Amino acid sequence: MEGILGNLAVGFAHVFQPVNFLALVIGIILGLLVAVLPGLTLVMGVVLALPFTYTMDVIPAIILLTAMYISGTYAGAWTSILFHVPGEPIDVPLLWDGYPMARKGEAAQALGWTLLSAFAGGMVAAVVMVLLAQPVARIALTFSTPEYFAILFFGLSSVVSLGGSSLANALISLFAGLLIATVGVDETYGTHRFTFGVPLLSDGIDYLVVMVGAYGLGEVFLRMEQGFKSAPLEAMDKIRTRLPRLREVLAAKMTFLRGSACGIIVGLVPGAGATVSSFLSYGIEGQYGRRRRKLGTGIPEGIIAPQTAATASVGGAIIPLVTMGIPGSGATAIILGAFLLHGLQPGPQVFQTSSHIIYAMFASVFVGIIVMCVIGYFATKYMVKVLEFPEVIISAYVVMMCILGAFAARNNITDVWLMVIFGIIGYLFERFRFPITPLVLGVILGPLAESSFMTTMISYGNDWTVFFTRPISGPIMLVGLLTLLYPVYRRLHHKTRGRRVSRISE
Amino acid sequence: MASDVRLTRALPYAVVGASAAYLYYVAANFQYHARAGTLGPDFWPKAILILAFAACVYEIAKIVFSGGRAQDVGGVLEDLVEKGAEKHADAGPAAMPTENHPWLLLASMGATLLYVVAVPVLGFFLATTVYLAAFMVIGGYRRPRVIAAVSVIGTLLLLFVFMKLVYVSLPIGREPFLQVTLFLMQIMGIR
Repeated sequence: MEGILGNLAVGFAHVFQPVNFLALVIGIILGLLVAVLPGLTLVMGVVLALPFTYTMDVIPAIILLTAMYISGTYAGAWTSILFHVPGEPIDVPLLWDGYPMARKGEAAQALGWTLLSAFAGGMVAAVVMVLLAQPVARIALTFSTPEYFAILFFGLSSVVSLGGSSLANALISLFAGLLIATVGVDETYGTHRFTFGVPLLSDGIDYLVVMVGAYGLGEVFLRMEQGFKSAPLEAMDKIRTRLPRLREVLAAKMTFLRGSACGIIVGLVPGAGATVSSFLSYGIEGQYGRRRRKLGTGIPEGIIAPQTAATASVGGAIIPLVTMGIPGSGATAIILGAFLLHGLQPGPQVFQTSSHIIYAMFASVFVGIIVMCVIGYFATKYMVKVLEFPEVIISAYVVMMCILGAFAARNNITDVWLMVIFGIIGYLFERFRFPITPLVLGVILGPLAESSFMTTMISYGNDWTVFFTRPISGPIMLVGLLTLLYPVYRRLHHKTRGRRVSRISE
Repeated sequence: MASDVRLTRALPYAVVGASAAYLYYVAANFQYHARAGTLGPDFWPKAILILAFAACVYEIAKIVFSGGRAQDVGGVLEDLVEKGAEKHADAGPAAMPTENHPWLLLASMGATLLYVVAVPVLGFFLATTVYLAAFMVIGGYRRPRVIAAVSVIGTLLLLFVFMKLVYVSLPIGREPFLQVTLFLMQIMGIR
């Protein structure tokens, strides 16, 4: 424990260095703006900030992106509550109680509850993150390649089975990502795989190019097809935040606890980020909350539950990222990209080799939440004004940032071509309901999954049963398989129950 | 279910399945020196391609045989999100009619591809200024002064930030367009 506190103190010292603190404040402001704008998603925002970190030192780069990730889970609530326009999908549950509160003339109170919920959820998750990270990393240190493959299998299975609207589409998307990751010269044999005689493909396809294209450009193309339009905003003269009284907070303490726990747990699971935790937490409040019958009529619990969980999911998602190098969401995948760009591979060893960087990241979560709340308290009124900015202009610059992001990675125009191709692929994926996240995580985790699999095969004489017979990898593989099959079971179960009900009614 | 609707639904899977089959053929012809008792570099991609192909065949078979009755097996938490949204449908965001502008999409894709072709020739400043203006016009924005100002000032700002602060060597173009970039770089103190 003393070691953790000592490292955290060093982390705080890093965060309060002028350059790093400036990166944090800029990251928080950018994250808030991105969350407010309906045309920009949190992941897109973090992708677009990535090129600016190429020439930064690793600590300010990580702090900037982490800060954007934190504040991106918060500010979309403002527009949900005030204008009935959710900035992000995360903020849809905020419409159900936040907006009715504003309609009753309690907008200031609703914004106050949002701020307090983001603060509480974020802080609880940050504490859990700091306490869990080192023990998890210590366990991960004992892992061999079969265990690593099993964890990757579980991670990718959960991304597929939890996220998308179609299991088959999510699987195809994942396979596409895994295949893209094989392009280039194979490390063991030196074989050219899917390079088609193009010299640049010998180095492989940079996953940053895939991410920027699929998340950024693909989304812009989709919005262009739908036509840029803005929801009409209601006039709002006085926008201010009124924090709740201690007595009111204590009355809702169980909602805070449930929301935080839900956010942390969902954040830990790959593929289920802030959006799922926000909806799930609202659902749990509807089941177990003290005033569950009044939910949806404009009560604070309907704000606390989703907002606490959304911000708490950040702390949860950072744990597998730093301890095992496995990103569970689009935003953490980009932060992993920033780590790798600076020559740092997150994983259990990172706590021994570069603990100051990891603890600076942890400290930035604590400081970031405080800065976010201070800015949120004073600047809501000014920040929501960006909604008046024409979306087409923002989108034009999003495309430019995508192009610059792809170009700046290797100073090569071929990467821009690849990015545009992945932008078109990203659009087609969205259009035909193939989820993007499995594709991106497949590209990122593919090389690690392949090397773990191949090394295991070499070490154990091509005996694939080893994944199922070892004491740690076996249960993880089993859980992975069950995770993958659970949606199929649910579908069959619903079908059988539906038939039984219709037979009885006949 | 009408056969053309089935065809439309099955088409993406047919394209992906055919691509997987072709790539399997490519993977089967990778050149390498095989080592006894060791899996080759083709094993992993071939395994992925077989699984992808199988998923496509399953989806096509489902569409062909079950037609409109076939429902997708959805993600677990996706169900939860949808149920929540359905329950509060009346409190959802104001529904706006969904529009479809395929020509705008094609025009913006074409402009983006043209930009990538043009930027090594025209240089970053000229190509980007024209592209940004064109994108805004395609997107339906009709205020020429704002478009001109936003394109020119924004491009100059990007040029300055990336070349002077982030040290990215952006395309400077070929003669005679090169002179424009060099002039701007001189003014901004970029070496």
